[in-house]
Amino acid sequence: MTTTERPLVLPGDPISPDLIPSSTSKPLRLGPGLRHVPPSDIVPVVAGQLITNHQKNSMWVEYNNNRLKSSAPAQTSTSPPYPPTPPMTLPHLSFESATKKTRPQLAPGALVYARVVLANKHMDPEIECVSQSTGKSDGLGELKGGMVFDVSLQFARRLLMAKSKEEGKVEVLELLGGEGLVFEIAVGRNGKVWVGGEDVKTIVVVGRALRETDEGGLGVEAQRKLVRRLAKGMK
Amino acid sequence: MTVSTTSTAPAAALGVLPRADGSAKYSHAGYTVTASVNGPIEAQRRDEHPYEAHVDVIVRPAAGVGGTRERHLESILQSSLSQIILVKNFPRSLIQIVLQVEDSPENDYVNTKLVQASLNFSIMPALFQTAVLALLSAGVPIRATATATAIAIVPQDGTKRSVVDPSPRDVEIAQSVHVLAFTSHDELLLAESEGDFTVKEWDDVYETAKDVCCRPVPTKEGMEMVLDDQHTNGPDLRHFLRSTMENKVASDLHWK
Repeated sequence: MTTTERPLVLPGDPISPDLIPSSTSKPLRLGPGLRHVPPSDIVPVVAGQLITNHQKNSMWVEYNNNRLKSSAPAQTSTSPPYPPTPPMTLPHLSFESATKKTRPQLAPGALVYARVVLANKHMDPEIECVSQSTGKSDGLGELKGGMVFDVSLQFARRLLMAKSKEEGKVEVLELLGGEGLVFEIAVGRNGKVWVGGEDVKTIVVVGRALRETDEGGLGVEAQRKLVRRLAKGMK
Repeated sequence: MTVSTTSTAPAAALGVLPRADGSAKYSHAGYTVTASVNGPIEAQRRDEHPYEAHVDVIVRPAAGVGGTRERHLESILQSSLSQIILVKNFPRSLIQIVLQVEDSPENDYVNTKLVQASLNFSIMPALFQTAVLALLSAGVPIRATATATAIAIVPQDGTKRSVVDPSPRDVEIAQSVHVLAFTSHDELLLAESEGDFTVKEWDDVYETAKDVCCRPVPTKEGMEMVLDDQHTNGPDLRHFLRSTMENKVASDLHWK
């Protein structure tokens, strides 16, 4: 894509009207990094690339940071946190097949993979480990064993993309799997990645590969090289 | 009144501290400042405000511990930064900004045996600019970007001369020192002055500062590139801010 389609915006910059999608059938949706100032101004509040999606009639600012600030429902892994995050509530009943009599037993400091159901700036956020519509856990719940690695929020978003290989340019997980490593992974939108598996060595290698890809800003070719190097070290 | 400047171009690096949410290192006019921004985090009970975030600014001098001067600078920075941060978005939370002075220019005319904390107004633009860059690096929602400059009015041969980004010697002999900051909407955000000056002098200072802080960004077409000698008062801060952020965003979104 050319730069004219994704201009750099700084907080307070005016947005030229031809970049605002003008579909009349759907309401305009503003994503992260934009603020609506009544009556009709749309102002960026962070520095990043302004991205407009004409099909969905939406626009947002793509940027990177290390702390979750927006309050949209998302999946997160939570644990005794560094850096500290505000307290959240996780009701006893928001687990798969939980009733008033059979409650899940969570030890203090347990790690859960959960979805944010309620995020409101005046209240503590509420999370759940069950899908409201089906009553199934869908992979959510307590994460046992394994290790948690910190990555930037943008890298977590790239890992969560449906086509992370094509759109997010992250191939490192597929490549590690191709080398014969067996592991599980749970990516939280808060920049926490849980890696589980039988072998501690595998967990550490996967976690390190993810962190190096994130911190070094590695491209697809560099990711291949990294995985080859780590795989050689495993043998 | 003639206008002069002694300083070189500013330099900045973003994201220098890996554990902080956002950080920046900025050096200009002999000052080097490193800032870290953490937030929004949970506020202490006594700082908690039910409707808005508490902005905590901490200034640490290069040597020694901070004293009354640092507290004064902190209070000025705190009130102007909370104007641009969208504090209402984060009720009951804290946005912490720590500014560590690393280097400040020395006054060659004064023999200082003891290294001690002695901050003055001429460091304000460096502190302010570093704080804004660190906020941008942390992705804290802000209303607009801002730029700041210091101007001293120095008597010389019976006339007066205004100096942009004054050296410590200029500050020492100056009749008055002014610090002004403007948002990217050309609004005056901060105006602090010390010393004796007339209204006319302040107006001149205002015009000079506005020229340094709010110069329009030159367009790439080259049609509006003004290259006349009128624009030589100090660095073009707004353009500097934009190009710094352009580099940061480009390196963050390299995979796009």
